[in-house]
Amino acid sequence: MNISVTLNGENRSFECRPHESLRAILRRDGLFSVRFGAETGETGADAVLLDGRLVSSEILLAAQADGHTIETLEGLNRPRGLHPIQEAFVTAGAIQSGYSTPAMILAAKALLDRNPDPTEVEVRDALSGILDRETGYLRPVHAVLRAAAMLRGETPAAIEPAVIDPLVDRGGNPDFERVDPPLDLPALAPRVIPSPEVPETQVVGKSERKVDAIMLAKGHPAFVDDIELRGMLYAKMLYSPYAHARIVSIDDSKARALPGVRAVLHHENVARVRYASGGQSYPNPLPYDQVSFDNKVRHVGDRVAAVAADSIEIAEAAVRLINVEYEVLPAVYDENEAISGNAPIIHDEPDMEGAHDASRNIVHHIEAEVGDVAAGLAGADRVFERTFRVHQVQQAPIEPHIAISWLDSDERLVIRTSTQVPFHVRRMLAPLLGLPIRQIRIIKPRIGGGFGVKQEMLIEDIVGHLTLATGRPVRLELNRQEEFVSSRTRHPQTITFTTGVTNDGTLVAQQMRMVGNTGPYGTHALTVQMVSGLRGLSSYNCPNKKFDCDVAYTNVPVAGAYRGYGAPQALFALESHMEDIASELGIDVLAFRRRNWTKVGDPLDVAAELGEGAAEMNFIPVVTSSGMDECVVQGQRAVEWHRRYDPEWIRPADRPHIRRGLGFAMCMHGSAISGLDMGGASLKINDDGSFNLLFGATDLGTGADTILAQIAAEVLGVATEDIIVYAADTDVTPFDVGAYASSTTYVSGMAVKKAAEDVRRQIAERAAVMLDLDSPGEVELHDRGAFATDGRSVTLAEVALHSLHQDNQHQIMATASYVAPESPPPYAAQFAEVEVDIETGQVTVNALVMAVDCGVPINPMTSAGQVEGGMIQALGYGHCEEMAFDENGRMVNARFGPYKLYRSDEMPRIEAYLVQTMEKSGPFGAKAIAEIPKDGVAPAIRNAIFNATGRQIDSLPFTPERVWRALQ
Amino acid sequence: MISRYHRPASLEEVFDLLATDGVASVLMAGGTVVNATEYPDIEVIDLQDVCPDAIVESGDRLVIGAMARLQDIVDNAGVPPLLRKLAHREGPNTLRHSATIGGTVAGADWESELLAGLLVHRATAEVRRREGSLTIGIADLFADPAASSGGIIASISVEVGGATAAARTGRTPADTAIVAAIGRVTRDGLLLALTGVASTPVLITRDAVEALVPPADFRGSSDYRRNLARVLTGRVVDQLGGAV
Repeated sequence: MNISVTLNGENRSFECRPHESLRAILRRDGLFSVRFGAETGETGADAVLLDGRLVSSEILLAAQADGHTIETLEGLNRPRGLHPIQEAFVTAGAIQSGYSTPAMILAAKALLDRNPDPTEVEVRDALSGILDRETGYLRPVHAVLRAAAMLRGETPAAIEPAVIDPLVDRGGNPDFERVDPPLDLPALAPRVIPSPEVPETQVVGKSERKVDAIMLAKGHPAFVDDIELRGMLYAKMLYSPYAHARIVSIDDSKARALPGVRAVLHHENVARVRYASGGQSYPNPLPYDQVSFDNKVRHVGDRVAAVAADSIEIAEAAVRLINVEYEVLPAVYDENEAISGNAPIIHDEPDMEGAHDASRNIVHHIEAEVGDVAAGLAGADRVFERTFRVHQVQQAPIEPHIAISWLDSDERLVIRTSTQVPFHVRRMLAPLLGLPIRQIRIIKPRIGGGFGVKQEMLIEDIVGHLTLATGRPVRLELNRQEEFVSSRTRHPQTITFTTGVTNDGTLVAQQMRMVGNTGPYGTHALTVQMVSGLRGLSSYNCPNKKFDCDVAYTNVPVAGAYRGYGAPQALFALESHMEDIASELGIDVLAFRRRNWTKVGDPLDVAAELGEGAAEMNFIPVVTSSGMDECVVQGQRAVEWHRRYDPEWIRPADRPHIRRGLGFAMCMHGSAISGLDMGGASLKINDDGSFNLLFGATDLGTGADTILAQIAAEVLGVATEDIIVYAADTDVTPFDVGAYASSTTYVSGMAVKKAAEDVRRQIAERAAVMLDLDSPGEVELHDRGAFATDGRSVTLAEVALHSLHQDNQHQIMATASYVAPESPPPYAAQFAEVEVDIETGQVTVNALVMAVDCGVPINPMTSAGQVEGGMIQALGYGHCEEMAFDENGRMVNARFGPYKLYRSDEMPRIEAYLVQTMEKSGPFGAKAIAEIPKDGVAPAIRNAIFNATGRQIDSLPFTPERVWRALQ
Repeated sequence: MISRYHRPASLEEVFDLLATDGVASVLMAGGTVVNATEYPDIEVIDLQDVCPDAIVESGDRLVIGAMARLQDIVDNAGVPPLLRKLAHREGPNTLRHSATIGGTVAGADWESELLAGLLVHRATAEVRRREGSLTIGIADLFADPAASSGGIIASISVEVGGATAAARTGRTPADTAIVAAIGRVTRDGLLLALTGVASTPVLITRDAVEALVPPADFRGSSDYRRNLARVLTGRVVDQLGGAV
């Protein structure tokens, strides 16, 4: 059928089929700013304006739009420069991955067209249909308010950091009882508590605009799906409807007979090669318990077959025509039942490698001990024990997994994929496809969020197999339901802490017994659980510590990497347990923790036993920097901590069914995997004194490309805009392990710094010749020039032209790499304020405040954005997100809404403080910030509920019925 | 999958399409449910050109055209405040700009607070068939969805006036309520409606709350939902205070 619309001001006609969504035809027309988020429309990444109204174009038929007016972000774009709304989004730091930014900008336009002076509530309502997994909405909301002012002709004030005086004297003790009135600070201002140890810098430490800001603000083609390849096939997977079953037979004849079907793959026609799918360094940790297609399925959503066809509709029809006969087997979902000895055996195949005891579904057994816990407990004045259960959630990036593969003109396989680990994917893929590594190129373009779920070789083997089978380009995109059940999730765990203390509140022994649930495949099973142990036993000093863990196979969807990587689970248990001990001992919860928490100079002894890089570690690292005291007192002030002791505040007189409470959690994380994570960078000068910076690190929307450019710019004395970044392409850039383990700033940043220092040396040598100096040591680089001590200078452009064209020609360039011997911990104080309805169990989170010591934030704006967004992901974990299953292992809420992500119009107040410390081992003093915001929200809410109601709730999430039952 | 799309220009055309033998037809208003649902082969009949979207006063009632978007209801100062608020609660703004009142009534979603609000406003639906129009209470429509088959919901009429109150429990502030209670006091007394306790929103008396056996799901067991119904109806009655 044919439709006519007014599209971005032009009269247009389109051919479409009756079932096609408006999104489909807009993208076919090259309007790539309209993006897929969910087949049911809830993400809003697909939003457009229809007759001026913001609607989801995924759940609007193209035919419904016939005769109407449509606007997409492309209609707002100017050939050069930015629309004021786009400008405001860039300036405010409202863009992280940028995947949903076009939709947000359209939402802002629709609002501001009819209401030039909206309130914050109205802005939040206008954005309510666009789910954001990255920013916590704070910056987008205030970007819209800023844009409104700009469009009214006002000039909003520049966004400067709020520089806040420290409250703790250096070297002194914090006063947790002091009461300071909270500060009234502009919403967008990054809150920075400076350290006098931090040297002055020009580019580092400044909120530079993101290097990818223009392409993201304008919705330019930048993501995996934003390319068109002639002759491309569409892939679709057939997934298991059963939690555990043997495939008795598979008949693909009808599917193959369907016109337009080009390949059907399954276990009968794909080589059986064992692998582990987690994107990790060589050699990948055991077990090798997966194959591309198996003759057994082990969870609902497990792979059965793949089809490639001329259209997605044909591929979907072909999938339905594959006839599979299953022998359904008993299934087990709970980790404790699974290892009881009375459960069905999930891996009974003879060729699986590396499980601890497959006959009891035990993937790994992990034990580590420092000191003698049994003796420590025996000698303790008091011993406390408590068991916690944490549930299964999904990372839910708004851009699901997607990959497009093709053969280039050399017939090498190229895969453009939404991945955090392009180099690992290339290496891991080669044996599965039977290709040498050199025949594969992996490209990571912009990606729409990852959060760990893309630290996986998840679908690249499928598109690779299909391209090799057909010779054609192949595209595979998971829909939202598939993303929930057929990708990766956070590990559920049962955790028991046993802790011995003296009567004055000093820890003398601490044991953590854990059963982790990895689902049916052990990807990340070893390392996530090891990190749980590491994080659970690292925050506090204690002479005797023990970790004892089994990891279970079950028939729930597969667990894997998720931002935090075992720490959110462990710290929920630990920080709840510590709260309870303080309460039992009658000691202030902050003072009790501080008595025990690790301080500068304290050993991180468990790291030498349990860290992922522990095997390479032949020394016990110590804490080299900590701003923990300052974090606590800043957070106390911001959250008005003193109210937790005021009974009239806890029980508001005008609402008798409400109890209010404040809770705290201490957080400690790591910066990269020491001795293991490696990043490489290369840098070369161009004729105009600009530089190409190439590295393998993968920006997921975090701003990694920007901060790495800032580091190079700082060393070279140039502006960030002088650094042209290209990253994460296995043919072009140096190796990097990828984006995980909070490693990019600390490890890749150091590689960039080293490369830049080498280039600086070469520039100085050249400039010394040009300036007729005796020694390059007399040259300093700043302001895009090389300066002699007497003030004479040459510009970097002159240096470049001289070295490239004029005399003793030489390409000024350098390559460097870095592997960190240590993993200095960032610290943070997480606070939460809640209201509990004691008659219904409903918990309302009113405020989340986190003060983080990440060393020196390279970019305070993007750092604050990491904390704000991370806290909201963590809020989902603690409060409302859960994968719910029926008795057959089918997820019953694989859709946003039932699976509840926070919206812009229901947010608590969120505030992030950046407490500087000078971490001398990091680039310009930096430590990591990526994951720590995930660690403390759940226990802080739990402890706030305890403060409010006196009830300790030991399982997540704090949904109304769970809380109500605890209150009965 | 949708195999054909129709956009009839008249009600007669709609009735002809609905009467076509051997064709599974689905009526579409905003399309937010139809387009988010997987069907075997269906033909859709888009009502955008045949159903009104105006909101007009009619004596002591207000008549809302079936194609009125939820946001139109939110934005219309003539609509009773409770219904504006509940229309706003129905979903985020992308959804409110697409979804319609007619489609919402036809969907009879058990968790829809707007439908509970319509119940206490004694909403009726005007169902048009080839043989003529029929006015039917939406409570009756929920009880017997076949009552509108072969026809279309052209408009929803609500009684205005009366003191109203609402109470709800959800996981988060904007979450779909697990249970919501809506109350309205009229000259005839108190009208109470609940979501989340039966297969559709229901009108209920206070005394009947204890006897509820709500369906359970992962957000609330039957016991818990009954407790919520008791607590929330109590709160609604308290809020209405002297008016009851």
